[in-house]
Amino acid sequence: MSYMVGVDVGGTFTDVTLVDSKTGEIKNHKVSSTPEDPSRAIMKGIKDILEINDIAQSDVQYLAHGTTVATNALIERKGAVTGLIVTEGFRDLLEIGRQTRPSLYNFFEEKPQPVIPGNLRYEASERLLANGEVYKVIDEDSLHKAIDALKEQGVKSIAVCFLFSYLNPEHEKFAVKEIRKRFPDVYVSASHEIVPEFREYSRLSTTALNAYLGPVMKNYMENFLNSVKEYGIPVEPYITQSNGGIISIHESVASPLRTAVSGPAAGVVAAKNLAELTGYKNMITFDMGGTSADFSLIENGEPKISMEREVEGFPARIPMLDIHACGAGGGSIAYIDNGGALKVGPESAGSTPGPASYGRGGTKPTVTDANLLLGRLNPKEILGGRMSVDMDAAKQAIQEHICNQSKLTLEEATAGIISVVNANMSRAIRLISIQKGHDPRDFTLVSFGGAGGLHCSALAKELNIPRVLIPPSPGTFCSLGLLVTDVRTDYVRSTLEDASPESMNVVASHFKELKNEGVKLLEKENIPESKRKYELVIDVRFKGQNYEIPIPVEWDELTSAGFAALKERFEEQHEKIYGYAKKDGILEFVNYRLTAVGQLPKARFEKSTAANETAIPRAARQVYFSEIERPGYYETKIYDRKNLKPGNKVQGPLIVEQMDTTILVLPDQTMEVDDYGNLIINTFGGEE
Amino acid sequence: MVNQVDPITLEIVGNLLLSVAEEMGITLVKTAFSTNIKERKDCSTAVFDAKGNMTAQAEYVPMHLGSMLDVVNEVLKRYPTDSIYPGDMFVTNDPYSGGGTHLPDITMVAPVFEADKLVGFVANIAHHSDIGGMVPGSVSPDSTTIYQEGLRIPLVKICSKGELIRESYDFITLNTRTPVERQGDLDAQIASNKAGVRRLQEVVRKYGVDYFEACTDALLDYAEELMRAGIRSLPNGTYTFEDYLDDAGTHSQDPVLIRAQITIDESNAIVDFEGTSPQVPGPLNMVYSGLVTTIFYCFKAVAGQNVFSNQGIYRPLTVKAPKGSIVNCTLPVPVGQRIDTSQRVVDVILGALSKVAPERVLAACNSVVTSAIFSGTNPNTENYFVYLETIAGGSGAHAFGDGLSGVQVHMTNTSNLPVEALEREYPILIEKYALRTDSGGAGLHRGGLGIQRDYRILTDGLSYTGLGDRHKFAPWGINGGKEGSPGIFSFAKNGKEEIKLSSKVSELPLNKGDVVRVSSPGSGGFGSPFERNPELVLFDVIDQKVSVEKALEDYGVSINYNNGTYSIDIEETKRNRLGVLQNSI
Repeated sequence: MSYMVGVDVGGTFTDVTLVDSKTGEIKNHKVSSTPEDPSRAIMKGIKDILEINDIAQSDVQYLAHGTTVATNALIERKGAVTGLIVTEGFRDLLEIGRQTRPSLYNFFEEKPQPVIPGNLRYEASERLLANGEVYKVIDEDSLHKAIDALKEQGVKSIAVCFLFSYLNPEHEKFAVKEIRKRFPDVYVSASHEIVPEFREYSRLSTTALNAYLGPVMKNYMENFLNSVKEYGIPVEPYITQSNGGIISIHESVASPLRTAVSGPAAGVVAAKNLAELTGYKNMITFDMGGTSADFSLIENGEPKISMEREVEGFPARIPMLDIHACGAGGGSIAYIDNGGALKVGPESAGSTPGPASYGRGGTKPTVTDANLLLGRLNPKEILGGRMSVDMDAAKQAIQEHICNQSKLTLEEATAGIISVVNANMSRAIRLISIQKGHDPRDFTLVSFGGAGGLHCSALAKELNIPRVLIPPSPGTFCSLGLLVTDVRTDYVRSTLEDASPESMNVVASHFKELKNEGVKLLEKENIPESKRKYELVIDVRFKGQNYEIPIPVEWDELTSAGFAALKERFEEQHEKIYGYAKKDGILEFVNYRLTAVGQLPKARFEKSTAANETAIPRAARQVYFSEIERPGYYETKIYDRKNLKPGNKVQGPLIVEQMDTTILVLPDQTMEVDDYGNLIINTFGGEE
Repeated sequence: MVNQVDPITLEIVGNLLLSVAEEMGITLVKTAFSTNIKERKDCSTAVFDAKGNMTAQAEYVPMHLGSMLDVVNEVLKRYPTDSIYPGDMFVTNDPYSGGGTHLPDITMVAPVFEADKLVGFVANIAHHSDIGGMVPGSVSPDSTTIYQEGLRIPLVKICSKGELIRESYDFITLNTRTPVERQGDLDAQIASNKAGVRRLQEVVRKYGVDYFEACTDALLDYAEELMRAGIRSLPNGTYTFEDYLDDAGTHSQDPVLIRAQITIDESNAIVDFEGTSPQVPGPLNMVYSGLVTTIFYCFKAVAGQNVFSNQGIYRPLTVKAPKGSIVNCTLPVPVGQRIDTSQRVVDVILGALSKVAPERVLAACNSVVTSAIFSGTNPNTENYFVYLETIAGGSGAHAFGDGLSGVQVHMTNTSNLPVEALEREYPILIEKYALRTDSGGAGLHRGGLGIQRDYRILTDGLSYTGLGDRHKFAPWGINGGKEGSPGIFSFAKNGKEEIKLSSKVSELPLNKGDVVRVSSPGSGGFGSPFERNPELVLFDVIDQKVSVEKALEDYGVSINYNNGTYSIDIEETKRNRLGVLQNSI
């Protein structure tokens, strides 16, 4: 017997998914999260699911988990006491940053305090030039003074970042060596190791964050490894990274920042797997919960990666799945502002006080209240019928906070809340699709999370997305993602180079070096030769521009003959994104990126055979639709997801209810069930 | 509110228009060639209705808010609508005829048609690093007329029915010192407008021409209403304040008075600059639209942060200024560095409001856009270059906390250029980039610190032009807060013997080994420094924001230093602070 276990830690619940490697059978389990020490809930969840299903620990052959340890340490500012050593003259760079203020018009908005305070920031006398040559040799005395002072001040971690170290790391390497000599038990992050890329503030900020998280992560890793071992699970756990891949937990200690925004990544990975399975290679993922919605884009089976984003107000330059969050969820609060417009969110009633209808003290109208009043949510089925719902409270909240502040009727206001929250979300989708040159008509919207099902069909209609796909268990989709992923590690070299056929030799040698690093890692991870893959990307721009476009390349294109294809690909992308390309422009290479992939065994999904009988609704009720030409109440059939079988086709308007979500299909739309049990909504009716 | 359009559609259309402007902004910044636009985002984009009202704006820089206000009106004035075609595009930079507020800001406007009907315009504005004129970078403290500040581009077509008009394009690029960079930036501006045209057409198509027009009308009313609600929350009355600019540049060393009288009357605000200095023979003059922009910034920050930026917000504001004054100048005076005047106007407005609503304003900020312009030939590439950068400073303290250190304030918010990018492109080495200890005004809440930036020159034959202010008139505090440090420019030949320079430096010759030092002003404090928690003073000392000497002198806090640790001498501190209190009685 052999099983795979995936654990996804959320703010409220920790989800565990167990897959039988032979049969592909899936089991899910939920326990309450334990934010003060996430490993407690993780261990409890694993123990529970094994006991319930009567499985021996020794039969677990794969364990992957996401953790919020690094994320929480950042949010709560509970990282290690960290010191910094920088190039002489730049002690304050961490605080000055890009010298901009956080808000154009809000006088009182604070800048976040740097994770390394001023008294722990020291300078070493040294300097490199813009070509990497040494201008001033590193002065040992100044370095020793800095190290000794930090030791005296009791830091647990040190970040080192010198100017131009991405071109020439010798001074940083020397500093690391001296730190290890004089202060052996301190955690060290050097910028050339963490992010050897051009632009000093991004590199410094990333390195400082990494050092700040290092000791916390190390501590967690040791505890968790022990718990797993003690419990008798024979494999070393993997941990998810922000790039959607996983890595052995001990590897995560060197670059903890790479796990810091891994939260929503697993869902995107699960969607990528669906893309392969179903053949819908272009997807927009839509994960809507109680307070926010996450969006990302998968093109031709590959999720989009972003190279830099802000983490708790600080730039972090690490490859991350490009996930865009928007303050729109079931708990988002609706109100009329001073100028008389209806607004929804980003403020959320959360689970306490919650929507007005939940009777937990909430008095403000939320998206969930509107969905209830429009007949979209079943008042008897909230949380599986374990909670009673107060419809009058929902009405009163909308009457008082919306209707009394405007001329809207109750019906208009209620439908309006849905229209506005959908408009907010469609703006977020535009941002990741249309604004980046992607046409929504070429995509499938994949909807998961607790609240997505009620909004996906309207969003698809609004944006002309022809198809919506809803997986069998939208509520635990993320933990499934942990069972279908690979080991992924990213490497980068940064040297600005005029691009030409002749320069491709140099490019090839950069990639060879990067590959050597990748090979070392994959060997450590025990990935057999046949399961190793390397993905190559060059960041390219027109010389003179400042923003690069990542262009994928193949090994055999790294010759002077391969240059033409690369150039053409860049111009195509530039044209696609910005609407023009200079045909006579000189190109410049900025970064060379290699991702080493170790393919792991994955959970398999079996097709089931088509049903003979047609789907039978279990009930019908009146539901209000404003998304169509003639708004109003329509008699709407209610289906139970359990009773929908592959091959079933049904005509909207309809609602599907299941344990973890409710799905709404508009009039004129059709829905069918595919061979894997996914629901497919055809946005403009008809058949696939 | 708001005829015919329901609050739901209003919100949705408002956001759609904003996303049109935002998409234009992304295209512009990501494809531009000059550091000014691509790194520092010194540009803005906007959407207009067919009548010329601005309906949405994506701004990176508040100074641009109103800079495009008149430009579509100017198009409509000069070109009858039957001479405007789909695919046309207009260009201008002339502040004296609706085109922005100084010559380096080039504006491009494109009409938007749907089903053969003119339904609106899109426009963008971008700061070009050189547009000709007497000095590299086009802004000179020596200038006495606008004709010395570069090419004046009247409103002309640059594209006709989708085709680039080569004559206009070449005319512009020939008149700059950096034609290749200009081409890259002009191309980016054209691409940005094209993206805007496409997206606005989609929006109009969705709602239909007539209903779309009703929506944009309603959006203007909506913004007006929000702004009025904000002004109503200020106490009625008339408040005055005045402050000075150090001087007007090379040709007039006299301080320049800025004086404003604000009247709050229910939901209206009237701001009158009677008594303000006449226009000057230097680049600090500002055209009226620049002044209106500045006043709007102040009221948006004080009374309506979340209001959609559109023309409606101007309706509750009346701005009066004597014609021919420095804040409402007339041909032919130069306007290149009008931003510093604008910054000082903000201080004056906030100063006036501080008398009745100190909890809603900031103490005086560094309130200047300290600019350093280096030019010469780069020996590595043998190309001539003009490199302009701006150095941030202190932001004033306020009722709720300390001021921010080393940030851009008020009318600008451009980012710095990474040192690793700068040194790669120009023969300059940055030796120091640090906050200036003790430059933040002392107070219950301390003012933010200014910045020191040292440039070592790596080749012969460069020159430096510096534009600063608040070198004589320090940034003031509020409610007993002390003033922050003024700014200083200095120069050390071969890195030796620092010589102080004036706040406006014109083409100082530089050779290898010379060091230019720019120290930007700090900002004012809020409340009495003797009320500041001594622990916070101690923390500032440890953080090197305040020196041990100043801790004692300004805050009355005695700090001891033993074996590498700082500590407060509590008894001594009590005595210091008591002494002052008794003296003041």
